[in-house]
Amino acid sequence: MRYRLDLTLRHAEGALARVLGATERRGFRPLSVDGEAQPDGDRWHLCMTVEGERGEQVLEGQLAKLYDCLAVQVSPC
Amino acid sequence: MDAPAQPMESGATTRARNGACWLVDALVAEGVDTLFGYPGGAIMPFYDALHGAPLRHVLVRHEQGAAFAANGYARASGRVGVCVATSGPGASNLVTGIADAMLDSVPMVVITGQVATGLMGTDAFQELDVFGMTMPMVKHGFIARRVDELPRLVGEAFRIARSGRPGPVLIDLPKDVQLACAAHLPAHAPSPVDAVPRPADASLHEALALISQARRPVVYGGGGIVLGDAVRDFRTFVDATQMPAVLTLKALGALPSEHPLNLGMLGMHGSRAANTAVQECDVLVVVGARFDDRATGKLAEFAPFARVVHMDLDAGEIGKLRHADAGVRGDLRRTLAALTLPCAAQLHARHGEARRQWRALCQQRARAHAARYDAPGDAVHAPSLLRRLSTLAPSAIVACDVGQHQMWVAQHWRFDDPRRHLTSGALGAMGFGLPAAIGAQMQDPRAQVICVSGDGSFLMNVQELATLRRYGLPVKIVLLDNRALGMVRQWQELFFDRRYSEIDLSDNPDFVAVARAFGIEARRVERAGDVGAALEVLLAARGPALLHVAIDTGANVWPLVPPNHNNAQMLDADDVASLPLATTGSEPTPTEDSHALPA
Repeated sequence: MRYRLDLTLRHAEGALARVLGATERRGFRPLSVDGEAQPDGDRWHLCMTVEGERGEQVLEGQLAKLYDCLAVQVSPC
Repeated sequence: MDAPAQPMESGATTRARNGACWLVDALVAEGVDTLFGYPGGAIMPFYDALHGAPLRHVLVRHEQGAAFAANGYARASGRVGVCVATSGPGASNLVTGIADAMLDSVPMVVITGQVATGLMGTDAFQELDVFGMTMPMVKHGFIARRVDELPRLVGEAFRIARSGRPGPVLIDLPKDVQLACAAHLPAHAPSPVDAVPRPADASLHEALALISQARRPVVYGGGGIVLGDAVRDFRTFVDATQMPAVLTLKALGALPSEHPLNLGMLGMHGSRAANTAVQECDVLVVVGARFDDRATGKLAEFAPFARVVHMDLDAGEIGKLRHADAGVRGDLRRTLAALTLPCAAQLHARHGEARRQWRALCQQRARAHAARYDAPGDAVHAPSLLRRLSTLAPSAIVACDVGQHQMWVAQHWRFDDPRRHLTSGALGAMGFGLPAAIGAQMQDPRAQVICVSGDGSFLMNVQELATLRRYGLPVKIVLLDNRALGMVRQWQELFFDRRYSEIDLSDNPDFVAVARAFGIEARRVERAGDVGAALEVLLAARGPALLHVAIDTGANVWPLVPPNHNNAQMLDADDVASLPLATTGSEPTPTEDSHALPA
């Protein structure tokens, strides 16, 4: 299954690495990554496409626990 | 505005208030009374600030010992454990203890020195990216790149470590930040922990509806009960609903071992009564547990007839491994309190006779398969020794290492408080026991603390005997020595055609002499008939003491669920002759009757 991830992250050291690492460790392969810092400099918006065998709730539940992850939405695509 | 880092001279007669001094004061403000650590180059300003501070620093002999000691301190006390190390190898030596805290949800704050910010990224002496290394094994990590960040980072570190599902938080602290002027920083004010979410009414109603239909219910309690401070509520729930209960390794003691509804530990080395009940139940009420593979056996065949009610603070655990027919996310105390009376009323009103028979069946099996302590022969029977010790020291905190002895403790110790059982559950880290016992003793000098170790595990952190001696901690060590890596040997015997590969430890040192070399009282016991007296002498010792116990190399832990099997397919020693699993890598087929319901 392929999923689209829409994430809002703190613009903090390690935030991107943490999200990518957690995504891969939980069994989802990134296919595309796109994102940029928001104009206020405090936030990142990140859009990813991933594929994996596990359910979207698993990924969403794990990413939502990351301190730097302020919002996450995972949807099939 | 951030003030630029102004290096201050350290070592002056009157020490200027730098970042390290501010941090020490902040730790005091956070309620920290004890640190476990080991100094080195990049953390020297912090150690300078510690000099004369109202904090007790425990100097261990290896940084892994610091992490495990802080871990044991936190597990036993429920407070945040703090450990400190320098950059590079000091930091990397902490990693196993940090990982253990993450996997077992132990609140810790880990402080590591780092090379100065200007040197970071240059492969400087003792530079290591511990922030990056620990990303998968911390709840969060920070690098303090400016002294002005310290108030926010320290407050957040403790708040994160304590809040919700606890865990370790790293603060990597470059040397120049430690030395920077902090005179302008305000005194530290700890942040409150996050409010624990209330369970949603709708989810409680779903749970109640499912539980009330049960004819063969089982409660499956996990470590979340302890973390959520919900032991009392859990006991009330079980007593009121009269549902048989099984416990994970981390939850042992959430119900007293002797409680009539406690069927024991489930899983690979669980009791037959516990595993059979779970495999046959029609509703499984999961309280703060996470379907760990050591608990479930073959997941696809775990509790095959059960609809699942899953209660957990961590929403990420609900549905992660097993679909929850009713998921209740939120504070376990409130969840259990809200469900106790309605569930009890519903259960008494419906299917009462069916459940009475089910309960009687479960209890009859528990009696029929109760462990026996009448092993023949003159050799020391480790389960009997542990049972006897737990009776002699009923209020002791027991810190285990990892291996066969860990499972024997889980099976045979009489628990009535889960905070008195310190065990490396998820990570299974050998070397945990002795430093964890040190941490447990430090958090309560009056507590009776017993470390149960094995000959393999003990040598992984044997250097901490020096710490035990230095602080005069009266920890009692029971070292079960089978002259082998026993659990690996057992698996090689059962599942690898007895091809014993690198498990022989028959050249172990003389452990009595080793202990005495550290200044610790020690004696050895080899015969079952001498165990009672030896245990009494051990427990009567005023200071630290070690009892070296020689046990049979071939002793195994029973019962056992073989790998890739379901929990109904448990084996006992008598089953070994018919063991069909001796071919490495085969995927055994479940027996046809493995899902059979009771008549």
